[in-house]
Amino acid sequence: MNAELLDGLGWLLPVIVGVPLATAVLLLTWRTLSDRAAALVGAVVATAVAVGAVLAALAAAPFDPAGYGLEVDGSWIPALGVRFHLGLDGISVPLVLLTALLALLVCWHLVRSDAAPARRGLTACVLAVEGGAMGTFTALDLILFFVAFETVLVPMWFVIANWGDDTQPERSTASGATLPGGPEARRDAANRFILFTALGSAVMLLGLLLVALRTGTTDLVELTERSGAGMSTGVQVVAAVLIVLGLAVKAPMWPLHTWLPPAHTIAPTGGSVLLAGVLLKMGTYGLARLALPVLPDGMREIAPVLGALGVAGILWGGLACLAERDLKRLVAFSSVAHMGFVLLGIASMTPQGLQGALFANIAHGLITGVLFLVAGAVKDRYHTTDLVLLGSGLRDRLPRLGWLLAFGAVAGLGLPGLAGFWGEILAVVGSWRGEDALAGLARPLAVLATVGTVIAAAYLLRVLFLLWHGPRLLPGTHATTTEVDATGSEVAVVMPLVLATLALGLLPWLLLDVTGPAVRVLLSGGVLS
Amino acid sequence: MTRVPSVDWVALAPVVAPLLGVVLVLVVDAVAPRAARLARVHDALAVAGLVAAGAAVTWLAVDGAARSTVCVPGGDGEAGLVLPSCSYVVSDLTLTLQAIAVVGALGCLLLAVDGPAAADRTPHHVLLLSAVAGVAALAGARDLATLVIALETASLPAVGLVALRRDAQGAQAGITLLLTAVASLGLLLLGVALIHAATGELHLDRIATALSGPDLSGAVLAVAGLGTVLGVAGIGFKLSAVPFHLWTPDTYAGAPLPIAAFLAVVSKTAGLAAVVVLLALGLPALAGSWGLVVAVLAAVTVTVGNLVALRQRVAVRLLAWSTVAQAGWVLLPLGAAVDAASVPTAVAASVGYLVAYAAATLAVFTVVVLLARHHPAGEEHTLADYRGLARREPVAAAVLGFGLACLAGLPPGVMGLVAKLVAVRPLVDNGVWVIAVIAAVNVVLGVLYYLRWGALLVAAPGAGDGAPVTWRVRPAEGLVLGGAAALCVAFSVLPQVVAGVLPGVLR
Repeated sequence: MNAELLDGLGWLLPVIVGVPLATAVLLLTWRTLSDRAAALVGAVVATAVAVGAVLAALAAAPFDPAGYGLEVDGSWIPALGVRFHLGLDGISVPLVLLTALLALLVCWHLVRSDAAPARRGLTACVLAVEGGAMGTFTALDLILFFVAFETVLVPMWFVIANWGDDTQPERSTASGATLPGGPEARRDAANRFILFTALGSAVMLLGLLLVALRTGTTDLVELTERSGAGMSTGVQVVAAVLIVLGLAVKAPMWPLHTWLPPAHTIAPTGGSVLLAGVLLKMGTYGLARLALPVLPDGMREIAPVLGALGVAGILWGGLACLAERDLKRLVAFSSVAHMGFVLLGIASMTPQGLQGALFANIAHGLITGVLFLVAGAVKDRYHTTDLVLLGSGLRDRLPRLGWLLAFGAVAGLGLPGLAGFWGEILAVVGSWRGEDALAGLARPLAVLATVGTVIAAAYLLRVLFLLWHGPRLLPGTHATTTEVDATGSEVAVVMPLVLATLALGLLPWLLLDVTGPAVRVLLSGGVLS
Repeated sequence: MTRVPSVDWVALAPVVAPLLGVVLVLVVDAVAPRAARLARVHDALAVAGLVAAGAAVTWLAVDGAARSTVCVPGGDGEAGLVLPSCSYVVSDLTLTLQAIAVVGALGCLLLAVDGPAAADRTPHHVLLLSAVAGVAALAGARDLATLVIALETASLPAVGLVALRRDAQGAQAGITLLLTAVASLGLLLLGVALIHAATGELHLDRIATALSGPDLSGAVLAVAGLGTVLGVAGIGFKLSAVPFHLWTPDTYAGAPLPIAAFLAVVSKTAGLAAVVVLLALGLPALAGSWGLVVAVLAAVTVTVGNLVALRQRVAVRLLAWSTVAQAGWVLLPLGAAVDAASVPTAVAASVGYLVAYAAATLAVFTVVVLLARHHPAGEEHTLADYRGLARREPVAAAVLGFGLACLAGLPPGVMGLVAKLVAVRPLVDNGVWVIAVIAAVNVVLGVLYYLRWGALLVAAPGAGDGAPVTWRVRPAEGLVLGGAAALCVAFSVLPQVVAGVLPGVLR
């Protein structure tokens, strides 16, 4: 497509990685900048980066045959053989675009949220997360990937620890223990986030080093071409276990997901959107980009476990959602379930499964973005996201927000015609056919995952029921709140996600054609069906 | 026949330059004792001594010629041709360690000139420069006697430096350090003596040859092995490796802060230099045995240091325990040595980690020194006193935050991340998985407390804080602050410096 016009745009890759990071540093050091101006600067930069990402995607097209349409390669740490190697192919393009879109929306959302304190720092953190994610999704070097992967940790920790919700009430668990509320809950959520993810990263680093040392290269293109050659199955299994463990924490995979619900619940709206839409994707992207093509034999050995844990996440997340009263926690648990489908698709090691996983990745980012933005808007109005307190007739009182929430819920339960459907159905199909990798578990897992979609329908319909026809409110609960429906700007921030969800739901090949050829390359050493 | 060996003064310049500085400072002091107006002359001479040493190191590195001096000739021995052996060798290893020590000492000197050193310029400068000369000699030492003497020259002046704070706490800290130094010297001497007894050689290269022979009796190996363990224990004190670390927190807390920084940067360099010279150059044949010992020592050190640091509230004590943990990180790669062939990469990783550690530690200490000077609680100030520092002193807070990120090994501190990666790499390569996993867990422990400290910098100031004092940063302190920060940033952009030290042959 326009090959001459868009030729030589490789420099765009370091730009979409570096500009957000540089702007983050600038915002942190420019102390006299007002909060609103800082948010505006952030929004303008995020817009520019989004334009750059779209240009880069166009320049990288066409994606058939697979290959890196855009590439930059430079020396970085010669002593370790680490290169500054960035590239864009069919796997990374959708995630780069998703990251750019979500960061853009979050930044514009920040411009409009005048009540948020210290927006200069928050905007800087959001941009730093964007830059780190862009680096992760474009890195073609193991160690560079790792550095970018780690870059998002500190800014995201600050987003939760500094701008998180410190008014959470105390909660008691089913086992009778009381969980703290208030600032302590916030600190706990932030620390839990960094503890889990940093430990995961450290374990992953051991695996990455093992691969690098045994193959003598850290270049992902070369490692993908070798498809595991040069490493014995034993080495591959060890490396795969270490790398998958690290990435599974981020994804998150049951039972390593326990950092996610508090982090999602307590993070501010923008933070939750980025957490769900970008950070979780880094884990699953890593599985597709690194683990599958580089360690095919090792992955085949552990695929049944990965698939089973993915399905456990689907069921467990769904069941937790059935009992959850808090809207944000509910979306967080549903994330565990949705990411379970992604893990199952990857574990199937089939083209359909992997296609489905990548599709579900994007769909989850879009739909969860809608849900968190709506939940944030509800929270701004009522200072609670407790579904029972919000009570009946939300749709009647706030029709626009109610409809957006309903849309998100319907998309989340995987209604055909919306984006959520295709990824999950493909993942299930992939699992059904994935007997090479999943062995005897292939069909049982596919069936159980289907049960999971039924549970998803049940809990999301329950949400809709509570909000549309729920029990009458206690009088006086909302006496002090003035009920204002979604403003134009709130709708404007959500609409791109709604439209993208519709577009991918109705025209799934928009995405499938982009990822398809690259998926075949990733699996070329694996199972081709 | 005894001969006075010829001496190559150019090769020895990094050792001689600080000593010349010592002599000049003493001469000036003798000519005009207690002349307050000559204070700046003292300072200038001391700085000049270190700068000259740094220049010599740079020149030797650029020159690149293989130099060695104070050699005994080779010849036809009983077992065939014997190569000449030298007591002092200029190599990549020597120059790298000297560079770390000289730059670190320069930073500590500049921090101290108008602080703790102001009242006792002559003794302070003389002691500091002597210690640097000791480290520089240690880095090049290639026989057992030189090794021991240089290590003591590097560590005994530190006792005097610590005791310069003339109060009970300073005396306590000085005594603790002195007793430690004496005890460790005893262990080291015993160890060295056993190694000598086992091999009959003084020069490390000859010891290495003697121990790599095909038909060694079990008794020789046992004696040499015992000597190795005792030697490692003796040096472990200097490095404050657990269980030889107990002096560290009290000494750091009792010493003037710039001196604590000196202990953390320069004395640690001395410790690592001694370990590397003794183990890697003298006993590579026994790597299978000492590798395990060092691995366990390092893993315990990292874990204990981090666990105790987690509970610290006083900034200096947290730093003290964090340097214990970091000493463990410095040792970790050596624990990966399983045979003679795996030693050079392990040493390169250790020294690379030391480079990153020294730069980051200097940056952090500088800000701690500044805050202590402007805080009523002085050196006893707690982490809570850093609350809101970013609003009051943005530059210092930025440097501290970046330094902590480097120590934690999280971006933006890419230097620290690459250093940790470099340190873990040999463990993975040689399949020392238990230690590698312990290291991974410790990354997280470190992240917890460094991040907690870093988060306080940007937190909103508490209600109970008094009116903040505006900092008056002296030019010398500003220089250290800027220099250390520049090093951290430069190494983060170009981590090759950390990853690529000692590319060649280990000698």
